[in-house]
Amino acid sequence: MTEAPLLYVDDITVSRENGKKLLDQVTVKVGHGEIAGVLGRNGAGKTTLAYTIMGLPSYKPDSGRIFFEGEDITDLSITERARLGITLAWQYPARYEGITVAEYLRLSKKDASKRELEEALDFIQMEPFYLDRFVDKSLSGGERKRLELASVYLMRPKLAILDEPDSGVDMLAIGDVVRLFKRLADFGSSVLVITHRDDIASACDRAYLLCNGKVMLEGQPIAVKQYYMSLCGPCSDPLLASEVTSNEPK
Amino acid sequence: MNLNEEYSTLIEIARKTGDPIKSDEAHVIVHANNILASKDVPGLVIDAEETEYGIRATFTVKAGFVLKKPVHLCFGHLGKEGKQVIESRIILEDGAKAKFYSHCIFPNAIEFLHAMEGDIVVGKGADMTYEEVHVHGPEGRIEVRPVTRVVVNEKGRYVSNFALIEGRVGILSLDVDVDVIGRLGSAEITSKIYGKYDDQCSVKDVIHLSGENSSGLAKARVVLKDHSFGKFYGEVQGAAEGAKGHVDCTEVVQGYAKAEAVPVVSVIHPGAEITHEAAIGKIANEKLWGLMAKGLSENEAIDVIVSGLLR
Repeated sequence: MTEAPLLYVDDITVSRENGKKLLDQVTVKVGHGEIAGVLGRNGAGKTTLAYTIMGLPSYKPDSGRIFFEGEDITDLSITERARLGITLAWQYPARYEGITVAEYLRLSKKDASKRELEEALDFIQMEPFYLDRFVDKSLSGGERKRLELASVYLMRPKLAILDEPDSGVDMLAIGDVVRLFKRLADFGSSVLVITHRDDIASACDRAYLLCNGKVMLEGQPIAVKQYYMSLCGPCSDPLLASEVTSNEPK
Repeated sequence: MNLNEEYSTLIEIARKTGDPIKSDEAHVIVHANNILASKDVPGLVIDAEETEYGIRATFTVKAGFVLKKPVHLCFGHLGKEGKQVIESRIILEDGAKAKFYSHCIFPNAIEFLHAMEGDIVVGKGADMTYEEVHVHGPEGRIEVRPVTRVVVNEKGRYVSNFALIEGRVGILSLDVDVDVIGRLGSAEITSKIYGKYDDQCSVKDVIHLSGENSSGLAKARVVLKDHSFGKFYGEVQGAAEGAKGHVDCTEVVQGYAKAEAVPVVSVIHPGAEITHEAAIGKIANEKLWGLMAKGLSENEAIDVIVSGLLR
């Protein structure tokens, strides 16, 4: 008997109120300890998929189910999913006035020692002095994004969804991003990387190509990458493009 | 309760607010209209007298003196009903530096008026920080009316932080008016209020920048829940060459609470620049979801966000 995948997104469709399909019969699997990549152009529906897996209220599937460790989690809240071991590193992490970096990181691991916090920061190339800084507008978008990755690193979730982990000003080099999710995998986490970068997708164990809300291709990263580079053009659907390009939660 | 007990109780409550009144630090402890204790330090002159409903006091920090430890002003009343009126004048002479910490303690007040009429003068090159923290009980409707007028002279700096986040606000009418008349003078006013039940919170912060290259910031963080009401009026007026000011207001509304924000930016000199930002409404979903994705419940996430905002 084959072991059930850690995450099984089974044939889900997500639509806007006007009926426009953001995801159309999408099926994605992530195995235990696996690094899976979802590759696609802007507007393909990648962030919508991440939000749907995380359980954001406005992204409830019209049809299809989501299973985690064999359990149906489709109707669970964000909190319930997080407590099962799923988390999301947001493409545009929010600001939190009055919360220090140390306090923010300890939301992911309450009893983390200062040494652990510093190690998490070091991993995404932030100096220890950041621990006393506030997670507000005094941190750049790139710094908040690095912090988000440090938070995931500290949390050691069963499934880490990383939404465009390399994008933004002052972000990590591709090699460092790849090193991050390899390290997460070493800890036993599975990783679902959302990206428009073929070089990131090619570092995964398995890749999906998403286009116009549909999975166009699934398989070996190298094959998906080649298809993406040779055949996949910019998304032509303006509605979908504007939806996901902004990447702000609905 | 005798005066010793009142003194001990006020000191104990002040200790819990995070900045305890130490015996070697300058202080004035007042219960109702009784001055229970008063201590000055070199460079500080305290002239205080009891009045019918409170005290009248002048605090003068002599020119060039830097007070390394805070001056504690503790105004309290442990009864349920009554009235306390504090008339204070704080003068920082040229080049002086001091931090005044005002503890306003009314843990049992139900029908009570606490009024403060303050005048503050910040001399040339002087630096003053004023912190005012209130401790109210969980019930009752205390009325708090602090009115403060501040004048900041050349290269002087005035920073104030008002916090009413523990217990009920009751009826608050906070009115601060700062006139930065000196060149390169600056003022920063921050007000943090947590309204609950049917509390009524009104905050009026006004800064006039009439000194050349002066600067000012009026900042408010107001969180309202239940049936409370909050109104923030923040005005910064640029009236001199190079004056720079900013109004920054965030009001978070939960439950049936209502909020109003009136940021006013006015410029009466072509070389001045005043900006503003105001956010009013419920906590943004992306903030909540960001924390919920770490396993916090929605209420836990709200608590984290609110406590950060009011810090």
